[in-house]
Amino acid sequence: MRKLAITILRRLILLLAAGLVIVCFSFLQSQIHAASEAPKVDLNADNVGPRAIEELTSKTIARDYANAWKTMAEALDKNRVDLLDGYFTGFAKDKLTQLIAQQKQTGVRIRYDDRGHKLDALFYSPSGDAMQLRDHAQLGIEILDGGKVIHNEEANMQYRVLMTPGADRWLVRDLVTTPEVKP
Amino acid sequence: MRTWLKSLLVSLTFAGLAQAAELRPPAQATAGSPFSIASSGTGDGTFYLIGPAQISKRKVNLGGEISVQGHEVEQAGTYTAIVCADQCTSVHFYVRPAQASRLSLLVHPSRVRVAASNAISAVAFVFDRFHNLVLTPQKVDFKVVPPEGAAISQSKTTANGTAWIRLTSARKGGPAKVRASIGDLAEMRVVQQVASDACNLRIKAVPGPKGIAVETEPVRDCSGNFVPDGTVVSFTKTDASGKTTVDAPIKRGVARVEMAVSGPARISVASGVVNGNELSLGGAR
Repeated sequence: MRKLAITILRRLILLLAAGLVIVCFSFLQSQIHAASEAPKVDLNADNVGPRAIEELTSKTIARDYANAWKTMAEALDKNRVDLLDGYFTGFAKDKLTQLIAQQKQTGVRIRYDDRGHKLDALFYSPSGDAMQLRDHAQLGIEILDGGKVIHNEEANMQYRVLMTPGADRWLVRDLVTTPEVKP
Repeated sequence: MRTWLKSLLVSLTFAGLAQAAELRPPAQATAGSPFSIASSGTGDGTFYLIGPAQISKRKVNLGGEISVQGHEVEQAGTYTAIVCADQCTSVHFYVRPAQASRLSLLVHPSRVRVAASNAISAVAFVFDRFHNLVLTPQKVDFKVVPPEGAAISQSKTTANGTAWIRLTSARKGGPAKVRASIGDLAEMRVVQQVASDACNLRIKAVPGPKGIAVETEPVRDCSGNFVPDGTVVSFTKTDASGKTTVDAPIKRGVARVEMAVSGPARISVASGVVNGNELSLGGAR
């Protein structure tokens, strides 16, 4: 009778352990999936000028800007300059390339936890070859030296963005923080 | 009582020493200009400066001024200064762009028809010497110099570092210079203004070695500009043998073809969407 009870208990423990492993695995999977997802980007083009944004362009801008942030976060986290090729060009790419080089040199690393962006289109050139936007971004920013976290904050950042069309997508040509931070 | 006071003072002193070092950046910093950040605390610490394209890390003595070199703050934007001793503290400060010293001018299209309304656009971006977009309003002077006639000037103030104008191309063909300037800074682009569609397209026929030679009068647009060589002109002949169309490019202002004609014939001419006159041969003209 005692043996039977022990066997049942063992099986129960095994079952619980297996369940726990499955739950942990699913959680990790979801975290990995979430990390690789592009952030949410809402574009407001009501006040843009002098050219109105076409519907397809507005969808493309939001998609490509989200992908730009995703690849930037990955590039900074993994110190991989090649990831910038997809959605960055010009000054923005130069600055990020320099930043990654300095990360490698100093051992300091910047990590973004992207909570989403509200984009306002400010200027769309008459010939459709440049668009300027303002981004209110909600970010978790972590700065690490080696494995040690030296700075951690939840930030509402404001960026001024210049995007230009490439062959099949819009590219971020300039990305600068501006001081008007609205919490 | 004395013992109690002593211990209180000692505790306060240690508490003060244990406090994290603090940083006091300047209220305003300009791209490329050196400045100092005041620090509190004692002993050694590690100073970090994180910017849009810059990461610096060095040992510093706490309690003094930490010098930041101009090359460490060439990019405008938000910087984070961090100092770590027992614990880390951080502050943010903003580096504003330096004086405007570069203009980037986008002019489209590079080739435009004459007398086309609002067909040319010019967009100027104002940068400092470190390629930071200068966001404070700047007055940009646009000037368009046509091949003939008076130049047209217009001033625009930048919004978010950008100023733009729209222009109607001149009635006379040729290169138009579009110039944007801020003080001594200037950028120029050239827009080639070309003739518009042919206007008053007319042909004449003369006897040729293989039949009838049909040629246009010099092909011009409605403003009197010569339509560029290479523009195709279509000649269509209708006679007893049927309908034949021959395309010929304009050469030296004139398009010319030779056609064999049997009996009475009608020859018409067209270029693009413009139709010209019609000739009747072998009968009344």
